[in-house]
Amino acid sequence: MSATQNAVETPSEKVVPSSKTKVVVEKVSKEFAQRDAKLKVLEDIDLEVKDGEFVMLLGPSGCGKSTLLNIVAGFEKPTSGRVLIDGNPVTGPSPKRVFVFQEYGIFPWGNVWDNVALGLRDLPAKQRDEIVERTIQLVGLDGFQMAFPRELSGGMKQRVEVARALAVSPDVIYMDEPFGALDSLTRMSMRSEITRIWQTQKTTLMFVTHDVDESIILGQRIVVMSRRPGKIAEIVNVDLPYPREIGSPEYVRIKKRCFDLLGVTAHVAAR
Amino acid sequence: MSSWPYVALALALASLVGGRKLEDGIARYVLPSGVIVGLLGAWHLVVVQSGSTAFPTPDQVARGFEELIASQRLWGDIVASLFRVTWGYFLAAGVGIPMGLVAGWYTRAFMALNPVIQGLRPISPIAWIPIAILWFGIGDTAGIYLIFYASFFPITVGTMAAVRNISLVHQRSAQNFGLKGFRLFRLMVLPAALPQIITSLRITLGVSWLVIVAAEMVGMDSGLGYLINDARNMGSRYDLVVATMIMIGVIGIILDVLIRQLEKFEQVRWGIVKQ
Repeated sequence: MSATQNAVETPSEKVVPSSKTKVVVEKVSKEFAQRDAKLKVLEDIDLEVKDGEFVMLLGPSGCGKSTLLNIVAGFEKPTSGRVLIDGNPVTGPSPKRVFVFQEYGIFPWGNVWDNVALGLRDLPAKQRDEIVERTIQLVGLDGFQMAFPRELSGGMKQRVEVARALAVSPDVIYMDEPFGALDSLTRMSMRSEITRIWQTQKTTLMFVTHDVDESIILGQRIVVMSRRPGKIAEIVNVDLPYPREIGSPEYVRIKKRCFDLLGVTAHVAAR
Repeated sequence: MSSWPYVALALALASLVGGRKLEDGIARYVLPSGVIVGLLGAWHLVVVQSGSTAFPTPDQVARGFEELIASQRLWGDIVASLFRVTWGYFLAAGVGIPMGLVAGWYTRAFMALNPVIQGLRPISPIAWIPIAILWFGIGDTAGIYLIFYASFFPITVGTMAAVRNISLVHQRSAQNFGLKGFRLFRLMVLPAALPQIITSLRITLGVSWLVIVAAEMVGMDSGLGYLINDARNMGSRYDLVVATMIMIGVIGIILDVLIRQLEKFEQVRWGIVKQ
């Protein structure tokens, strides 16, 4: 892990995104029909994400953050409002924007190699093989090409899924609590991996979490959401260099701010 | 009267009492052997005590077996039964799996086909025997038709259910990477459904083997089911009846062992439920 940390000791200026807007969320609301009432999950969400930006969606469970990500990804339709990517309305999912799921979305019937190659079926074999090998190495799974998911640990499975996403060189990667099922040590090393990969690939990342620390460690901006109907409480900027120093005054200030916005008493945050 | 049944019962008792304390690896063989030997001994005693002349003792059945094998007739009947089951079963799998995949994946196809499938499914294949004979006459074709009927519905319904059970995450992954048409079925729908399809194939093969015996008893002139009827009708040879029954059981086990080999592939092991 120390090697990785050395590698990502880059001043924050270097990873400031280009000013081009990538994702625009316009007045998005979402209602689910229940037996007699309608359940309003999201209300009037407005959000802009810049090209190459790392944005966190932070909120308590049930605040609609996953629903918002699913709408942006095109898996679900908003009740009103719309989502634009590069100025075009989103009508459905696309291989240019890949979703990394909360549970394991990789295919258990295929080995690591098959899974990473999933989005590359139309490429010539030589080019495909080269990309698959390179991506498997990037996520640190070299030597496990022929292994099946059931033989891998939780962290390795999640790396396979990240590799499957990276292999198609997507413009945007959506992550819905991708490390939720991992043990805390694996989760920490996956966070620095993701930061490293994001810094080299310059992909726009939208990442859903309910973990305040995770959002400060990873994101450039934190979209803090309030509970039902989900609204944006505030967008918190994290103007800290990577890797983030946990416990620095600015870190603690941001953490307190997030906890305040989430309605959790401040002394919990100030340890 | 011979004394072996008492020896058998004593042996059974000893192996069951003593076998409890053995290691798992040895107890796995000793305990069931004890039960089998005990049952054989009890069977013999009950027949002798009841004074029955019609129902055979285990050693009479063993001699019946020898007679069947010597007569060469057994093999012909085994081949006849297996021939019908093989054709009916593979035809049913060949039609039922693709149909189940399509009807499971496309909601409109499901809406169209499901009521008919559910409506025909509860009609016992045995009830079809008169119609099968009317259509195809006495012979292999009627048997193949009945096995097809008996296998087609469980395979189709099992495949349909397997497809409809595919997790949302896998469906969305396929959608996200733009899988469509034939490629969607080859790379996601079929492999995701395969473990459950294999389970229904396995159950269905067992059912087919039950049905062919019944069908041959009622409406065929060869096969193991017919052999049972024939042995009874020609001089009440219940020793041959029981010997044939045991043969049916043994072949049933062999078929199950063979089909279970499908569960060992790495591509399906993730989804095979231990039974």
